This record gives sequence, C-alpha cells and structure tokens, in this order.
Amino acid sequence: MFDPIMEQILIIARDAWAFLSGLLIVVALLGGLYYVLQGTAGAAFGGSRMTSMAIIGAVALVILVLFAFLFLPQVGEMLKNFQPKPPF
Amino acid sequence: MSESASLVLEFLRLAWTALAGALLAFALLAGLAQILRVGSAGVMGANLWVWQSVSALLAVVVLALFAFLGIPQIVNALQTALPNGGGCGPINSLGTYASALIGGLAALRMLKAAFTGMLSASIGGASTFSNALIESGEAIFGMLLAGLAVPLAAWFLGTC
Repeated sequence: MFDPIMEQILIIARDAWAFLSGLLIVVALLGGLYYVLQGTAGAAFGGSRMTSMAIIGAVALVILVLFAFLFLPQVGEMLKNFQPKPPF
Repeated sequence: MSESASLVLEFLRLAWTALAGALLAFALLAGLAQILRVGSAGVMGANLWVWQSVSALLAVVVLALFAFLGIPQIVNALQTALPNGGGCGPINSLGTYASALIGGLAALRMLKAAFTGMLSASIGGASTFSNALIESGEAIFGMLLAGLAVPLAAWFLGTC
C-alpha cells in the first residue's frame, strides 16, 4: 500500500542526493581554489603562517570530501542492515 | 475480531516499513547536507557553524541508530509487559485486540517521533526536536498506562 509513496520519496531522495553531491564537489573545488590563492599569496609576501593555514585547509577539505563520499555510503549500508522488521 | 486486528496490524506493519525506509533515506541526505555545511563553513572560517554542523551530523547518526536498534527493543519489552486479556468472552477478545493495537500504534508513533527528531536535528529546529522526544516518551508512558488499564477494566467489568 505504501510502496508507490515510498517509490516517489526515494526518487526525490535520489535526486536530492545527486544535487547535494554535485554541490559539495563545486563548493570543495571553489574552496580548494581559494586555499591555493591564499597559499600562493602567503608564499609571495613571506606569510608562512598564512601559507601553512592554507595547506591545512586544503588538506582538510580533501579529507571532508573523502569522508562524505566514502564514509556516508558505508553508514547507509550499515543502517540498511540494521533496518528493523516491525516489532509487533 | 482477530481478522480485523490482523488487518489493522498489517497496515501498521506496511507503514512501519515505509517510514523506516524514509528515515534511512532522509538520514543519509541530512548527513550529506551537514557535510556540505561543514565544508562551506570551514572555507569561510566560521568555526561555530562548523561545530554546529558536526554536532548535527552526530545527532542524525545517533537518532538513526536509536530508531533502528532502540525502538524495536523498547516496543518488544513493553509488549511483553502488556497483558493480553483479563478474563473471558468479549472482555478477553477486546483486551487482546487492544494490546495488539496499542503496541503497533506506539511503535509507529515512536518511529515517527524519531523521524521528526532526525529532520529537526538536521535543520537545527531545537523546539521541534524536543517535541519529538516528548512524543516518544508519551508513547512509552501510554503503553505503561495501558498495561495497567487492561487488567483494571477486566476486574471492573468482571472476570470469570
């Protein structure tokens, strides 16, 4: 009875997932570009702290994107395995 | 009466399965949205926003685990404590019917509360989140009250 509704919800959720993934990639790329600019500027006028912060930021951004694309699907699989049958 | 109970319970079971699937899908989307928020806040240097998003992400995961691991156990425990019937004849049938329905409705209500709580945690709605937790507590309290009410009604109406 609820299957057609569930199908519609899943279609919307899949679209939203694709949209958010794309947005995350765009934001990460822009953020990476910003950090590269910051690091280059810092290196050009001798701002070592600025450069190191930019490198740390870029690495953190890469880790974050890897976390989103590798960890979240695994969490989803885990939760899918935990999905309970009706307890009544 | 047993046919009617099984029909209603089947409907509730279908609703449970659909709601559990929707909860899983929305939990993953909320997680992705929070990670996007962490990324954008990190780039902007908004520390508070980053920590808010990290906590929201953890809250979503914990709520999903509670919904999938905690709620079935709570419902099972309460259903075993719920008396099936308190006498004979129509009272017994009504008691069995009521306990089955109360269990199903309370389980579904708790799952719905977890779903609402997860949604509000992902968008930062603190009051909706607390309302959802209160609703979950109400469902447990209602089952406990029903556990008292069924034998009391049987005693009042007369047992055999």
